[in-house]
Amino acid sequence: MSAAELEIAEIQLEQSTGGLWNEAWYRLTHNVGAIIGAVLVSVFVIFALGAQWIAPSHPSDDVHLVAGILQPQPPSTEHLLGLDLQGRDVFSRIVYGARYSLLIGVVSVGIGLSIGLLLGAFAGYFGRWPGSLVMRLMDIMLAIPGLLFAIAIVAMLGPGLWQVMIAVGVVNIPIFARLLRGSVIAQKENEYVLAARVVGVPRRKILFSHILPNSISPVIVAGTLAMATAIIDVAGLGFLGLGPQDPSTPEWGTMLTDANEYLAAAPYLAIIPCLAIVISVLGFNLIGDGLREALDPKLRGRA
Amino acid sequence: MLRFVVRRLLLLIPILFGVSVLLFFWVRALPGSPAESLLGERATPALVAAYKERFGLNEPIWRQYVTYMETTVADRDLGISVATHRQVTDEIRQRFPATVELALAAMLFSVSLGIPLGFIAAKRYGGPIDHGSLFLSLIGISVPIFVLAILLKYIFAVRLGWLPSVGRIDLLIFDAKHPTNFYVLDAILTRDWSTLWDVLKHLILPAVALGSIPLAIIARITRSAVLDVQNEDYVRTARAKGMSPGIVDRRHVLRNALLPVTTVIGLQTGLLLSGAILTETVFAYPGMGSWLRDAIFNRDYPVLQGGILFLALVFVLVNLVVDVAYAVINPRIRYSG
Repeated sequence: MSAAELEIAEIQLEQSTGGLWNEAWYRLTHNVGAIIGAVLVSVFVIFALGAQWIAPSHPSDDVHLVAGILQPQPPSTEHLLGLDLQGRDVFSRIVYGARYSLLIGVVSVGIGLSIGLLLGAFAGYFGRWPGSLVMRLMDIMLAIPGLLFAIAIVAMLGPGLWQVMIAVGVVNIPIFARLLRGSVIAQKENEYVLAARVVGVPRRKILFSHILPNSISPVIVAGTLAMATAIIDVAGLGFLGLGPQDPSTPEWGTMLTDANEYLAAAPYLAIIPCLAIVISVLGFNLIGDGLREALDPKLRGRA
Repeated sequence: MLRFVVRRLLLLIPILFGVSVLLFFWVRALPGSPAESLLGERATPALVAAYKERFGLNEPIWRQYVTYMETTVADRDLGISVATHRQVTDEIRQRFPATVELALAAMLFSVSLGIPLGFIAAKRYGGPIDHGSLFLSLIGISVPIFVLAILLKYIFAVRLGWLPSVGRIDLLIFDAKHPTNFYVLDAILTRDWSTLWDVLKHLILPAVALGSIPLAIIARITRSAVLDVQNEDYVRTARAKGMSPGIVDRRHVLRNALLPVTTVIGLQTGLLLSGAILTETVFAYPGMGSWLRDAIFNRDYPVLQGGILFLALVFVLVNLVVDVAYAVINPRIRYSG
């Protein structure tokens, strides 16, 4: 490196990086993977929100009789992704299915995140016995494999859309609780917390306005990645037949259950929902990875 | 070392106690009382009352829990399946080996491919193999197990017809003996090579589907661990003193890089159990997973309760073994207490 280059590097070092969030945003918008992820997720969200304008027909309409009889039909120019076993337009069902997946993902991650955050923050801040009591409870929940736990909850509540969301949400609680507890404990020892204590800020306020905002970035990353796993888990439960019991509900996992039986006759009926699931999950994973890189303090200043 | 193991074992007690309490109350929260679900449609009020009396369902709840633990732990009695009228423990004896066989095959697939892939990717950092492996591992974690299973089944079983699409063994093989219920082991023990070939063929697709996610994760972790270790001082020293690159890689880089990899392999066991339920459903593979799935639809509560308790126990024990194994290979854990 020449002397001039060294000087430039030094000047760049001195410049303000514009804070964590500005810098993270910069890095995120310059990450090819994250941009691809954002595009995929945008398409997914647009499908979900605008289903009634995008889908050519209603997802449970089975009036598309082919030559008077009900039968599956491969993709054609008339029906972009073909017709399913009941003569329903598959493209419309995929579009409406996005609505279910988004709703399910947001609600179940919301349940897991909010309860997990509260418990984790509580356990991290109030160490000693109340905290360890909560964490032992989380350990018990983690001792049962995730999907099995979700199945147990659905068996208790009965199969259905809401039950599946609750099950996936509950399974997520200990994961978020652990994450936030670790993060809070790491922050608790920081000097700014000590300073706030010295000037007499009440405990609750320290937790909510000092510690939580600083422990939140791993949670944002985990939340995005949890959207991906929630979509997978819910589709998995749907595939097992535990999802919406009305077979006309266009839930992607539920669509696969029927299709698995007719793999030889109508493979596209399985492949299309498979692709829809993979693409949306991939989108959330890409954004999550991008966020992880963007928010990692170790990588700061290396934009 | 012994102290570490003993301490970990003691920590298990509250967890297993908690799981058993959770399951105990869970069974009582299931729709329909156990009496009604066992008696089925013949349940008259008088019969239900007699049943409740006989099985102690009128006792106080803590007494019921004690009785339940006594029969479960002391007698190892998990009740009788509503659907098949067989002992739940007998069914587990038959089905658990199937799932273990599947999980081991999946693990073998993912470890034997994932570690070399991650290692090569790190060695060729930034090259096409590296990018390829990163892309593959991204796809690996984004494709749900059941989706991959369906696609594999379609391509290799339905389309190409290379491999069987359902079951564990060909239905036309009547004479195979199963002393251990691990079919691969059984076939080797009885020197029944044609059966062995058939069983292996049935194992390939489910194992690849189940092993894909661990494969992706193991490759990723191996890659980043090798990248970290490669820049350590002791690696540079080894190179500087003229050690051949192959020996440096084997003795210094790979050995140390495998530490985080072993933890990840341990963490995958839970995912394998969860994934087995889905994989077994796609391939109609007669293991624990497809059994529990059917139990939900049959409202077969003794099977659900016994099966979930058993799997939770296995999961907790596997985690213990992983922890101990980790302490064996990583002295830092052992001594920090």
